[in-house]
Amino acid sequence: MYRKFLNARSPLRLLEKGLHGGLGPGNLGIVVGGPGVGKASFLVGVALDELLRSGRVLHVSMAHPVSHIRDHYDTVFEDLAASAHLEDEALVHVDIDRNRSIRVYPKNELTPAKLREAVKVESEASGQPSMLLIEGLDFETTSREDLADFKALAGELAAEIWMSVSYSKEQIPELPASVERVEDLVSVALALEPGDDVVLLRALKDHDNPDLTELHVALDPKTLLLTRH
Amino acid sequence: MIHDLTTIRNIGISAHIDSGKTTLTERILFYTGRIHAIHEVKGKDDVGATMDSMELERERGITIQSAATHTIWDGYHINIIDTPGHVDFTIEVERALRVLDGAVLVLCGVAGVQSQSMTVDRQMRRYKVPRMAFINKLDRSGANPVRVTEQLCEKLNHNAVLMQLPIGLEAKFEGVIDLVTMKAIYFEGDSGEHVVTNEIPEELRDEAEIARESMLDAVSMFSDELMEAILEETVTEELIHDAVRNGTLSMDLTPVFLGSAYKNKGVQKLLDAVKRYLPSPLDGENTGVDLSNDEAPLTLASDPNKPTVALAFKLEDGRYGQLTYVRVYQGELKKGATIINSRTKRKHKVGRLVRMHADSMEDIASSSAGDIVALFGIDCASGDTFTDESVQISMTSMHVPDPVISIAIKPVDNKTVDNMGKALGRFVREDPTFRSRVDPESNETVISGMGELHLEVYVERMKREYGCEVETGAPQVAYRETISQRSDFNYTHKKQTGGSGQFGRVGGRIEPMEDGGEDFEFVSEIKGASIPTEYIPAVEKGFVQCMAKGRLIGFPVIGIKVVVDDGKSHSVDSSEMAFQAAGRGAFREAYGRAKPIVPEPVMKLEVEGPVDHQGAILKTIMQRRGTVIGTTESSGMARTESEVPLSEMFGYATDLRSMTQGTAEFTMEFARYLPAPAEVQKELKEKFSSKIVDE
Repeated sequence: MYRKFLNARSPLRLLEKGLHGGLGPGNLGIVVGGPGVGKASFLVGVALDELLRSGRVLHVSMAHPVSHIRDHYDTVFEDLAASAHLEDEALVHVDIDRNRSIRVYPKNELTPAKLREAVKVESEASGQPSMLLIEGLDFETTSREDLADFKALAGELAAEIWMSVSYSKEQIPELPASVERVEDLVSVALALEPGDDVVLLRALKDHDNPDLTELHVALDPKTLLLTRH
Repeated sequence: MIHDLTTIRNIGISAHIDSGKTTLTERILFYTGRIHAIHEVKGKDDVGATMDSMELERERGITIQSAATHTIWDGYHINIIDTPGHVDFTIEVERALRVLDGAVLVLCGVAGVQSQSMTVDRQMRRYKVPRMAFINKLDRSGANPVRVTEQLCEKLNHNAVLMQLPIGLEAKFEGVIDLVTMKAIYFEGDSGEHVVTNEIPEELRDEAEIARESMLDAVSMFSDELMEAILEETVTEELIHDAVRNGTLSMDLTPVFLGSAYKNKGVQKLLDAVKRYLPSPLDGENTGVDLSNDEAPLTLASDPNKPTVALAFKLEDGRYGQLTYVRVYQGELKKGATIINSRTKRKHKVGRLVRMHADSMEDIASSSAGDIVALFGIDCASGDTFTDESVQISMTSMHVPDPVISIAIKPVDNKTVDNMGKALGRFVREDPTFRSRVDPESNETVISGMGELHLEVYVERMKREYGCEVETGAPQVAYRETISQRSDFNYTHKKQTGGSGQFGRVGGRIEPMEDGGEDFEFVSEIKGASIPTEYIPAVEKGFVQCMAKGRLIGFPVIGIKVVVDDGKSHSVDSSEMAFQAAGRGAFREAYGRAKPIVPEPVMKLEVEGPVDHQGAILKTIMQRRGTVIGTTESSGMARTESEVPLSEMFGYATDLRSMTQGTAEFTMEFARYLPAPAEVQKELKEKFSSKIVDE
């Protein structure tokens, strides 16, 4: 299969449909889930989709070392390429590696100012990112000003920012308190919850649409791939 | 012979260059009575540290070759395996790690955890070596042991716990507070040889109490008894020692000790800690493979009564002749006994068995499992296993990477040609990542290894130890050729020039090995006897001949599967020669159509520098066709991991220095082969075809 078919068939298209067009540039999206449910795999899945569509991704983490994140990408990409019988896999892989940067910070040390600085350095060296992932940010203790500033950065870059948000339990309430207080800043909120044999994705917030639709997207915990459900 | 294995400690002292590793080793030998005077590294007094027995090392102030030395502290036998610090000598580091039971990670109290420490630490983790840390150079200005301990946790992911507190720092560094005994320890006398215990100075009392509490907190995780004792306030020193030992052995805890080897402070307490916390040979598990049972893995027992298994991990041409350092893993090694080399199957008689001190030796009659000793006059390669004749066991073969860089060398003076041969012969035996060959076309001697510095060191050793100065050519990267798609062949070799003719036809296909494998596979699917069975090896030989030198850029061809499924022979004119020629012809026919490509060696490069300079650092990587994997920022420093083609890395040190005003440093090791981009491939191709035209 060729790259463009792979993109057209990606479950992420289904997600976009369910979200009335997806997250959209300049917006902040969050994925909420309990410990170990697969938030990082969701982020990697979203990032690979962006990379396969020739975007640039900056993956910022306060949770894992660089080598670990890179291995995660490699594993998911190899599974994806194998499941789709991707042509020219090696070349696509090289291309993806070149368009993705990983940056790791110690716990609680990422500030909007630091992220701005990082984006500047990365942009000068290799190009401006079209998507930013932030993993391991303590959402509860992050101030409203900082979140607003992260969102402003998304606007300046016309990029999407996805963040993972940890929740202490497996089942997620309608909107966790830590999110509710900054609801106006978050455009899309998704919940990841363990189902029978897959991890299900559920919309908690979809821009300003009052009716939340079923997303029909899940995460396969065996392959770490996003799938249709 | 040492009977009680629990009193043996085989340890490595591992560190970044300039962390003071050699000075520390030297002090250890001094306090344990093995040497009687202290010399400074870097030849400040022209004698040099005892461990650095090679002149080159003396001059550079670094230790390149690992040597094992034996010493005794408080009734415990400590074998110190001195490991080289530079990553270009990785094979030596890894081989030394293999034979260690535990290690001391030496860190500079000022510079802290540097990128080299990370490489070494990663290797230790891979070989499951329990370790403790010694933060050295606390007398230097800017020393901060608390920060270095934090770095151990953050950068190296250790659960590092301070077991001591410093009394004063920098110029005022006087001694340490032992948080287990809650006493102040001072090191008095001209060389710090008198350890004096005293009460903790009043002004440090509170700080020490707090530090002890957090130490107990961390350590009690490894002992239920200690946890109970803390609750009941019946903590004893013994309980703490046991808990620290448990945590260290399981690699879940890294106890941290402090001192300044140069100022003779803290070393004796470190030795006490080695004795208490690091494993004996009985604590670890060692495995080998059973050669008589299809290389099935088996666990070796540190039991002197079982059959002998010993690993030669280091060869040295000392002033006393060839020395082979071995670790006995099982059974006993006795003077006069016969041992057999598992690889060559050759028998050897153990003539002399010695225990090595840094530069002298002691003859012994036997040595048992767990010990490290040296043999004389045994011809073998490093990495060989010796057993008694009753078993066929090999220690798991260690992964030896292929060299990635070569240079041609030529003696300046023709009289030294013999010496060059001798030197090369020895280097090749000592270091499996170093190779030497004579190029049949240019008649030049070509040496290959794992990096520029690796080869430079050998060129210098040739000059110093063998009086043979050589001119070196331009470094040559080890490119490869492989194919990217399947291609069919159907080739007939036919010659009819009087006398008996030659005839052979082969049909089939070549295709890339699955999963990017680098091997060569030859499969015959001939049915009937279209090619007589006796000629099939000749066909294979024809292919193999062509693969030694590819037709694209003249480098070895790898990763090809050849399937022969058709052919024809002639009852009179077919011969082995004819089918060899047919194989060569078939390869030529199919190769061009199989879209050959050029894999090039790619290095993993880690650069660390101040955050302010990371723009410049990224630039040096991008300019070199590098791919940035990621950057880790912490405490004002940024460490960037990337992959860069080796061919672009020449002169990197100079370039990085000038781009960052000398504030950044880097380490590099071979990562993998990746296809070179089209423009590079084209350039290599042009170079190759112009060379052919020249000839």
